Amino acid sequence: MSRSVDKDGFPAYVSAWEARIGAFLEIRKPELLSAQGESSLGPGGASGPVKGLPFAVKDNIAVEGFGLTCGSKLLADFRATYTATAVKRLESAGAAVIGKTNMDEFGMGSSTDNSALKRTNNPWDTSRVAGGSSGGSAAAVAAGLVPFALGSDTGGSVRQPAAFCGVVGLKPTYGAVSRFGLVAYASSLESIGVLADSVGRARDVFRIIQGEDPLDQTTVAARVVHGTANQKAGGKKVLAVLDPASLAQAVSAAVRGARGLDAADGGAESAHRDAAEEANLINLLEEEVLAGFSKAVEGYKALGYEVREVSIPSLAYSVPVYYTIATAEASANLARFDGIRYGKRPEWAENPEDLIDKTRAMGFGSEVKLRILLGTFVLRSGFQDRYYLRAQRLRKHITGEFLSLFTGPEAPSALLMPVFPTRAFGRGDRGPALSSFAQKAADIFTCPANLAGLPAIAFPASVEGGLPVGVQLLGAPFTEELLCDIAAEYEADHPIPHPEGYQSFWR
Amino acid sequence: MYQSFIGLEIHIHLLTDTKVFCSCKAAFGSEPNTHVCPVCLGHPGVLPALNRAALDMGALVAQALHCQIPDRTWFERKQYFYPDMPKNYQISQFASPLGQQGYMDILFKGQKKRVCIKECHLEEDAGKMIHAGNVTLLDYNRAGTALLEIVTEPDLETGAEAEAFIQQLRRLVRYLGVCDGNMEEGSLRSDANVSVNLKGAGLGRKVEIKNLNSSRFVRLALDYEIERQKEILESGGVVKQETRLWNENRDQTESMRSKEDSHDYRFFPEPDLPVLEITEAYRRETQSRLMELPLERLERFVRDYGLPLEQADYICEERALADYFEEAVQAIKGLERVDAARRVALWLAADVKRVMNRDGVAPESINRWSFSPQRLAQIVELLGRGAISGKIAKQALELSVAEDRDPQDIVQERGWQLIQDPEVIGRYVQEVLQKEAGSFQEAISALENGNQKRYETLTVYLVGKVLAESQGRCDAPLVKAQIEKQIGEAKPCVC
Repeated sequence: MSRSVDKDGFPAYVSAWEARIGAFLEIRKPELLSAQGESSLGPGGASGPVKGLPFAVKDNIAVEGFGLTCGSKLLADFRATYTATAVKRLESAGAAVIGKTNMDEFGMGSSTDNSALKRTNNPWDTSRVAGGSSGGSAAAVAAGLVPFALGSDTGGSVRQPAAFCGVVGLKPTYGAVSRFGLVAYASSLESIGVLADSVGRARDVFRIIQGEDPLDQTTVAARVVHGTANQKAGGKKVLAVLDPASLAQAVSAAVRGARGLDAADGGAESAHRDAAEEANLINLLEEEVLAGFSKAVEGYKALGYEVREVSIPSLAYSVPVYYTIATAEASANLARFDGIRYGKRPEWAENPEDLIDKTRAMGFGSEVKLRILLGTFVLRSGFQDRYYLRAQRLRKHITGEFLSLFTGPEAPSALLMPVFPTRAFGRGDRGPALSSFAQKAADIFTCPANLAGLPAIAFPASVEGGLPVGVQLLGAPFTEELLCDIAAEYEADHPIPHPEGYQSFWR
Repeated sequence: MYQSFIGLEIHIHLLTDTKVFCSCKAAFGSEPNTHVCPVCLGHPGVLPALNRAALDMGALVAQALHCQIPDRTWFERKQYFYPDMPKNYQISQFASPLGQQGYMDILFKGQKKRVCIKECHLEEDAGKMIHAGNVTLLDYNRAGTALLEIVTEPDLETGAEAEAFIQQLRRLVRYLGVCDGNMEEGSLRSDANVSVNLKGAGLGRKVEIKNLNSSRFVRLALDYEIERQKEILESGGVVKQETRLWNENRDQTESMRSKEDSHDYRFFPEPDLPVLEITEAYRRETQSRLMELPLERLERFVRDYGLPLEQADYICEERALADYFEEAVQAIKGLERVDAARRVALWLAADVKRVMNRDGVAPESINRWSFSPQRLAQIVELLGRGAISGKIAKQALELSVAEDRDPQDIVQERGWQLIQDPEVIGRYVQEVLQKEAGSFQEAISALENGNQKRYETLTVYLVGKVLAESQGRCDAPLVKAQIEKQIGEAKPCVC
């Protein structure tokens, strides 16, 4: 059933698309592409749903023999010395890596335009971004260059590009999939995730890559804490829906509160106010996104689901909490890039300290530097209470609210939410149409799943104005199977849309 | 009128086969960068995986130091940039150390002193940076090896006391088998902090001292530093809070960095390692792996065997030696236990020690020596029963070591047992008295004339001659009795 279909013309198809979208940072030679499948790429013997399938891997996941640039100049020439556990498992199941995909540098961004190495375009409209940070993986799947790809989701980096490109994006429970081989941005938040051309494919891939790994001890711990639920859909069909308007209101109130508190800051106040206004604005869903979301709600009602509106008040704080924790962890995770053992380094340096300074000054892009600075700031001794520890307390609270939502005999199976307030945005003369700050504020729908460690699956709800609109389902820990069941029900009525020129090479 | 307060921070290298967060071999002295992998080199994408053996060893030390092991313990990242630290943060413990609030008793100048242990925690070691002319070389073999840092309260007062603490802690961790205690190779490293203040005024301003590569340097540096601080206070000055380095070439401490330059380590919990839940069962299991600790053993040897402190101290320095001692004592059947123990201790501290030094047998490897505790027991027992003489006993030791055979077989085979047959002894005595007729006669006269001193001298002389004639085999007391009898019964010469 998963057997590859006729692959004649595949290399030409890939070249043509790739010239338009630039999804890959590195790709196997066309002759290998045509031969992929049963012969040279996949190991013999294995059988199963991914046998013979090519797949792409985000360039922050290690595959021995390939580069591991993370979209950064600093690692532009770095070759991976080992293979990530998730990739190994797929290779053992008979799938073969055909290339490494573009991304925002170290996963920091929502457009893939923060890649220092390449620009990636959205297959639906090449003037628009593919989303990010797993934009290359999403674009490659959307254009039909691969049936699935691996990405990573730290605050929405699988689901948001999936929504922008009209594919399925699965972010597993924290600890369900080994992170060994994933270059860390924010270790406590991120998972390796799947971008796929169907819900069933995402599920197939997830089943292969999930599971304990002695090389990632958080995979073991997660199962101890949560058990492995993964029940199937059935019985009472209840879906919780987070009303986007009320969430926007809550955010607005939180922003006003913060503004009141900081009124004494004087000069900083007006900058703060401007930022708050911007955050407020972005949290209001774009009309088309709202339309897509409503269609999803109606679609589920039509499928016999009882739709229950819920509110999760603490979500108003999720973005500041997320960026406090993510940048704190990033400041430590990225410290290893010092040019001493690997990576691009200056021709000349006075001493080891100078070497480190110069390497980092020239190797990192400005978004990365910004987040390292932020993370260093929030972890300073004497200030942890105000920033980092406070964020951790709020995180616990947010997690608690989610878990209680999914607990009890009357609990809904999943929570339906928008993915991002806009569809794929375009580029202005001076970069993305959405400012770097607004992009962060817009993570409000995706980052909660990372803060709470919950599984979530994004899938296309509809196509509005020529661009796909995605929605997502969040569930209790280790309910990926259930989420896939519910998403697949919708998919059966609303098949995954494809951009013009899309051709399917795989069943 | 001044009082000094010394605290120690001691790092011990745990004797795990592999590094603390990866499966590289934890070995020293190899070709540079041969025990490295993506994990300990901090390559992008790798994760630490805690080595269970490191946890177990750390917990064992924590319990030996009477520390509380908390229900939940976790790791933090300690952040600072340094070229020998691959991730530019060290995985360490900050808020929930593995061992908390314990103590260790030490013996100092014959007195027992309790030193409080603030905490002990697990962490990873860094690599080594070697400056060679214009270049800096890096060796990461040591990077990621398991360390346990033991932090004392400022309970020590003098350099000598600190030195004693380190030596006795070294003995403890060697007993536990978790560290080889080699300070020269850096398997046991100590930093010290010291403050001086007027008596009763509490702690003074703390100075940290680094680069202390031996327990002797710890003593010298602390004594130097206490004097330096006293002089500053004496002249009305204020001691600067700073980190100083011990300069072993100049026998002094030198300023390294002041408090203002100290790092902000920006600790935060290590997200890549799960929190460890310590169960009661785990604590019990660890407790069951504890053996009698060196100080307890030393005290028992003094109390139960009546050993002198110095001998007990020597024997207890190495667990193998103390085990050897007890095995030998156990193997001796024909003597009172205390008598046997004293004799064994004496042999160990004297003749056996001499042979060991000569043959290069280290006390810690005495358990692998061919001269087993059972063999020593045979010698002690033969001697104790009076079956061989002291001289024969020493010869038996030498031969047993040289020929790798049981002393009792050697004694048997060579007919080295003491001669106790009165007839045989009588023949030796007769022979000697004839040869030494002059001395014999003089002894008779001395006895007659009541010259006791002269009489005794001559008697000892004659006994010695008999023993020499029999190559030490005649039983000395029996010989003496026969000679005295002969002298007493003889008529003085009237000619």
